[in-house]
Amino acid sequence: MSAVVAAREVTRDYLRGRTRVRALRGATVTVAKGDFLAVTGPSGSGKSTLLHLLGGVDVATSGEVLFLGRDLARLSVEERAALRLREVGLVFQRFHLLPMLAAIENVELPLAAARVPRRERRERAAAVLERVGLGDRLRHRPSELSGGQCQRVAIARALANDPALVLADEPTGELDTATSRRVLSLLRELNAAGTTVVVATHDLELAAGAGRRIRVVDGRTRP
Amino acid sequence: MSTAMLADMLMLGGGIQRSFGELLETRGYELRVSPKGTLPFDTEATIPGWGTLRDSVGGVAGVDRVAPVLAMSVSVEVEGEEGRGGARRTLALGLDAGNRSLYEVVEGDGPGAGEALVDARLAEALGVRTGGRLRLGTAAEFGTWGRSASVRVSGTGNFVFATARDMPVALPLADLQVLSGLEDEVSFAMIRVSAGVDPEAVRAGVAAVAERVEVVTLAGISDKLDERLSYFRQVAAILGSVSLLVAVLLIGTITAVSVSERLGVIAAVRAIGVARRRVVGELVAESVVLAAVGGGAGIGLGVVVAGYLESILAGLPGLPAAVRFFVLQPGSLATAYGLVIASGAVAGAVPAMRATGREATELLRRAEP
Repeated sequence: MSAVVAAREVTRDYLRGRTRVRALRGATVTVAKGDFLAVTGPSGSGKSTLLHLLGGVDVATSGEVLFLGRDLARLSVEERAALRLREVGLVFQRFHLLPMLAAIENVELPLAAARVPRRERRERAAAVLERVGLGDRLRHRPSELSGGQCQRVAIARALANDPALVLADEPTGELDTATSRRVLSLLRELNAAGTTVVVATHDLELAAGAGRRIRVVDGRTRP
Repeated sequence: MSTAMLADMLMLGGGIQRSFGELLETRGYELRVSPKGTLPFDTEATIPGWGTLRDSVGGVAGVDRVAPVLAMSVSVEVEGEEGRGGARRTLALGLDAGNRSLYEVVEGDGPGAGEALVDARLAEALGVRTGGRLRLGTAAEFGTWGRSASVRVSGTGNFVFATARDMPVALPLADLQVLSGLEDEVSFAMIRVSAGVDPEAVRAGVAAVAERVEVVTLAGISDKLDERLSYFRQVAAILGSVSLLVAVLLIGTITAVSVSERLGVIAAVRAIGVARRRVVGELVAESVVLAAVGGGAGIGLGVVVAGYLESILAGLPGLPAAVRFFVLQPGSLATAYGLVIASGAVAGAVPAMRATGREATELLRRAEP
């Protein structure tokens, strides 16, 4: 299968105050189309950093990340933003929904940013929310939804532009066990329907449910 | 509050000069002749030898009409009530017959020989009506009068240049000259320029034949007033600037707090791929709306406060009561509103640019646990 994204020997250094911290020390991973990859590892091991590099949210200090064949290091900040908008769906641990917007408006956000016409984006947002099981919650605001429902809205937002890759960073981190299972089930359904998914997680059940797993330890990837 | 103060300061900044200028222009005389180094109503100094000077001034090309005025303090009392302690000090204006440029008749008519037109408030205070009689004198102390004259009240009126405390009487110039003993003197004179003639050219002509007096155009008076009011303008400019700065700081702080509280959402929106200019645009739009709503309320408050302050300042001695300190000018209000909205945009843009200037991953690290 063709690679959606491939990272080879990537490192990432940060400055914390005046101290240089190396979050990744040579990570290599390839995500093929249709993969469901779980990235596990202890806190601070570099899982989120690796996810951000794969999705073009961040750029590597050294090494190479090819997204659909394009070297992300050669793109400007706004070019990477445009690439993420169309090709990457991001799901966050804390959902990060806009509290003043209804569920459907939150899902419309990336469609609006991609300049999809108003009527089309409303139809597509409603369809995606229907797909994640929230067809009856279109007009509810995040404060009127449960944690699990908010995360499903966030997943719908990630799917809105029909991305090549969905990256979920600790998507069940704020959810109880039963709700986590429903989110896992949803991610598996999406993957079964052809969506490529990469999940960074501490959740062993979620990792076990993924098609493929890698561990990140001390900034290095291990099978 | 900042907008209210800014609007008030803009109204105050040029208000009094504009108001006074408009008041002068409505009187229909383009030049003023006054004792050297003074302006009309400035001092009690007079111009001696007026008869000769009038002939010289009247002969200058472009002079259409010369209207002399003698202004002096007099005592006034209702006739028949002398010695009862009812005498008041007031301003008397001696005017040529037919010169009604300094008052507007409310009732009756202008004064003829042996008559006086009385300020409507004074008439009410004295309890005198048209047709009644007053005694006017140069002094009335301890029940004694100096030079005095009995006059008939020809009518009542409103005096254009009267201060809030002045309640003047107008009488024929010759009568007041006799009463005061200043028989060939006037306080100042107004000159009407012939139609189509440049007032400045006439001013130069009058100044050439009347070297011992001050000859000024209305623009010249306005400039001198401007000099005297520079303190007001400087205070207005300082307070206006401080108000604007406070507005910028307030809106900037509110936007900065708002950005800080929503860092997670901003991080997520940037991570999703929404362009920086769009995110900045949304945040700036929020602060502009905040400034527009607050500024609109502030303008309304400013107008109310200006009205209140005007009522206090109206009693300031030495200035005609008709002069306004706060002149409601749409341009001033629009400027204040525009400045506050522009401040809102700047105050919103700074924290928005700072927040979105970082890599999305850095924002996420700050927002995520």
